[in-house]
Amino acid sequence: MGLTSGTLLLVAIVAAAGSLVAIVWVWPRLARQRLAYLAARLAAIAVSQLLVIAAFLIWLNSYFSFYASWSQLPGASAGTRLAMPQRAVAGPVTVFGSSPGPAPGRSRLAPLADGAGTLPRETAASAPATAGRLQQVVIRGERTGLSSGPGYVYLPPQYFQPAYARARFPVVLAVTGYPGLAGGIIHRLALPAVAARLIADGRARPTVYVMLTVSPLFPADTECTDIPGGPQVASFLAQDVPRAVEQTFRVTATPAGWGVLGYSTGGYCAVKLAMMYPDRFSAAVSMAGYYQGVRGHPVPGLWGGSIGYWHENSPGWRLRHLPAPPVSVLVTSSRVGDESLPGTLAFLREIRPPMRGYSLIIPEGGHNFRTWSRELTPCLKWLSRRLS
Amino acid sequence: MGLRGMPLLVLLVVAAAGLLAGTLWLWPALARRGASVIALRIGLLVALQASVLGVVFVSVNRAYGFYASWSDLLGTDHTVAQIVVARPGVTRAAAVDPASPLMSLASSPVVVPGARRGQGGRLEEVRFAGPVSGIATTGHVYLPPGYSPASRPLPVIVVISRQAGSGAASYGAQRIAAVAAAQIRADRMAPAIVAVLSPAVAGRADQGCLDSPGGPQAGTFFSQDLPRALTLAYHAAPGPSGWAVLGGAGGGYCALQLATAPSGQFGVAAAAPGTYTLPPGRGETGGSPGLRSQDNLLWRLRHWPAPPVRILFAGPGQARQFISLVRPPMTVATIGPAAGPPPLAPALDWIGHALAGRP
Repeated sequence: MGLTSGTLLLVAIVAAAGSLVAIVWVWPRLARQRLAYLAARLAAIAVSQLLVIAAFLIWLNSYFSFYASWSQLPGASAGTRLAMPQRAVAGPVTVFGSSPGPAPGRSRLAPLADGAGTLPRETAASAPATAGRLQQVVIRGERTGLSSGPGYVYLPPQYFQPAYARARFPVVLAVTGYPGLAGGIIHRLALPAVAARLIADGRARPTVYVMLTVSPLFPADTECTDIPGGPQVASFLAQDVPRAVEQTFRVTATPAGWGVLGYSTGGYCAVKLAMMYPDRFSAAVSMAGYYQGVRGHPVPGLWGGSIGYWHENSPGWRLRHLPAPPVSVLVTSSRVGDESLPGTLAFLREIRPPMRGYSLIIPEGGHNFRTWSRELTPCLKWLSRRLS
Repeated sequence: MGLRGMPLLVLLVVAAAGLLAGTLWLWPALARRGASVIALRIGLLVALQASVLGVVFVSVNRAYGFYASWSDLLGTDHTVAQIVVARPGVTRAAAVDPASPLMSLASSPVVVPGARRGQGGRLEEVRFAGPVSGIATTGHVYLPPGYSPASRPLPVIVVISRQAGSGAASYGAQRIAAVAAAQIRADRMAPAIVAVLSPAVAGRADQGCLDSPGGPQAGTFFSQDLPRALTLAYHAAPGPSGWAVLGGAGGGYCALQLATAPSGQFGVAAAAPGTYTLPPGRGETGGSPGLRSQDNLLWRLRHWPAPPVRILFAGPGQARQFISLVRPPMTVATIGPAAGPPPLAPALDWIGHALAGRP
C-alpha cells in the first residue's frame, strides 16, 4: 500500500477510529481495581493513541508532499551509498502525462491523462490554446546521467496560439525544498495556478515553468551539489536540465531568458546555481533559503571532506571571496516566524555590483507553503520583469 | 496564547496528563451501562487523544518553525510586503571588470603564403576577464578571413598550450593562427574562431584547468567565463556541439578534462596520447579523496556516463587504457605519426570535420 495512497490514509483513519470504538466497548471489562487492569487500560489508550498519531502523520506527509514511498523515508535508506547513475536510453525529456493547465488562480487540477496522453473530452475551455498544458515529465541528464524523478512542465496558453507559433519563451526552473516532491509546487504552492492568473491578467509575460524536486536522488539530500567522486547534481540542474528543456520545448537558449526559483533548500539552490552558472541563469528567487552550505550532513562526503569545497558551495563565501556574478537575486523571509531572517539579511549586505539584490520581507510567516504562496505572486512578477 | 510559545505547550502537556490520570481514575465509575456514560467515555478519550496530538504538533512546530502563529496556521494572514532593492555593498577594487569580459588589445593580419594580404584572417591579442572565476588573463583569438559579426555563427576551437604566448613555437598562438589560416585557405578545414590560451591562467602553475577547492577557479574560467566571453564578443556557434578544445604542448590533460567534465561545454576534444591519470602538478584537491578520484580521467570514464563527445588522440605515444574505456556515445579516433611532435594541421582538419558533424 503506497505511502501517499488514499487507501492507506483511509485504513489508518478507520484503524484509529476503530481503536476508540473498541476501548469504549471493552471499557466495563477493564474496570476492576487491580494493577493488571490499570496496566491494560494504559496499554489500550497507548495503542489507540499511536494509531491516531500514525493517521495524522500519513495525512501530513501527503499534504506537504514530503515523501512518495516507504523506501524513501529516513532510516529506510540510511547508510546506502549514493549509486552512480547509468546512462539512460530514453530521450532527454519523457512526457508521461498531460492535462489542461489550471484555470487562472484555481489550484484544483484536472487529473493527469494516462501515459498514452489521451485527455478527457476536450472542450473549448480545456483546449491547449485556452488552458495551456501541464505535463508530467522525467528529465534525464545527458552528461551527469541523473534523472529528475517525476517533475512537471507548465506550458502557458500562448505556447499553443498561432500568434506565438515562432516565439521562444522564457523559462523558470522551480525546485522544491528538502524533503519534497515536485507535486508540492503544484498542489501546495499552486505555482501553475498563480502563473496562469498573472499571465492571463498581463502582469507576467508568458513563461514556461519547469518544476522539479531539488534532489534527483531523493530521498538522499544532495543540496544541489557536484559531490566529489559522486553524483554531479549541480551540473544536472544547471546544465543538463536547461539543455534538455531547450531541445524539447520552444524556449530561449540564452541566460537572459532563464530564471530559477526555490523555497527552503530550493532557495539555497536557486541562489547558488545562479551564482555558479550565470551562463545559464540571470535571475534567482530564494524563498526562506540559506546562504551557507549545510554542515554535519547525513550524506557522506557531500563536500568531499574539503573545507574549500564547502566554501565554494556557500553563496555568502562566494560573495566575500569571488567576484560578484552578473545575476539578480530576490530573497524572501519574514520578520517573525522564520529562522532564515538573520542569514538572509547578512547575505543581502554582501551583495555588490554587478550582482543585484532584492528582498521581500513579510511581517510574519513561518517556514511553510502558506507563507511562500503569499510571496509567490510578487516573486513571479519580479522574475517576469527580469527575463526576456 | 502564541502557537510557538511555551505557555501553550505547558497547557497542553498539563491537559494531556490530567486527562490521562482522570480517565484512568474515572474508569470504574464509567463502567456502568447507559447512553450518557458511553458519551462521557467517548468525550474523555477524544479529549485525551486531541491533547496528546496537540503536544506532538506544537513541539514539532516549535522545533522546525513551520507555522509562526495562529493566523499563519489558519491562513487568515494575507499581508504581503513590498520588494525592496538592496543597497549595494561596498564595491571592492575588482580585478575583473565584468562589463567587458573580453577586451581586444592588438590586432594583426595573418599571412598565408601565396595569398594576398588580408586573405588570411587576423589574430587579436585579447584580455579575458572572468566574472565567475575572478580570473583575468591574456590570450589570442584568431578570426578567419571574411569573419564579421553579421555572418553566420562560426564554431570555436579553444587551444590550450603552455607555449601559447611564445610566438613562433610549434604550439604558439602565431603559428597556430598561420596553420589554421593555411588549412582554411586550402579548404581542408571549415572556418572557425580559434582562441589560444595558456593552461596556467590563475597566475600560478598549471593545475590541469581544474578548480582548486576554495582557491583559484581555473575550471570555472575555462567552462564558464571563457565560453561566455567569446560568445559575447564574437558571433560564435552555440556549445557544446559547436565547440572544441585542443590540448597542445602540455594542454592535453586540460582538453580531455574539460571535455569529460559534467558541465559539458565542449563537444570535441583533441590531445596527445597519454595516460591522463593525474593532472599536471598533481592538482589541488583540498584534501578531498573524492576530488582526487575524479581528477583521474580513467576514473571518470569508469564511473560517469560517457558524454556525447568526440575525442582525437594525435601524435606519438599510447592511450590504450583511455581508449579501451570509451563507450558510446563517446567516440575516439587516433592519427599518427609514431614519432615527432603532435601534428597541428591534421588535428585542426579533424576537429573542423568533427565540428561540422562529419565522420
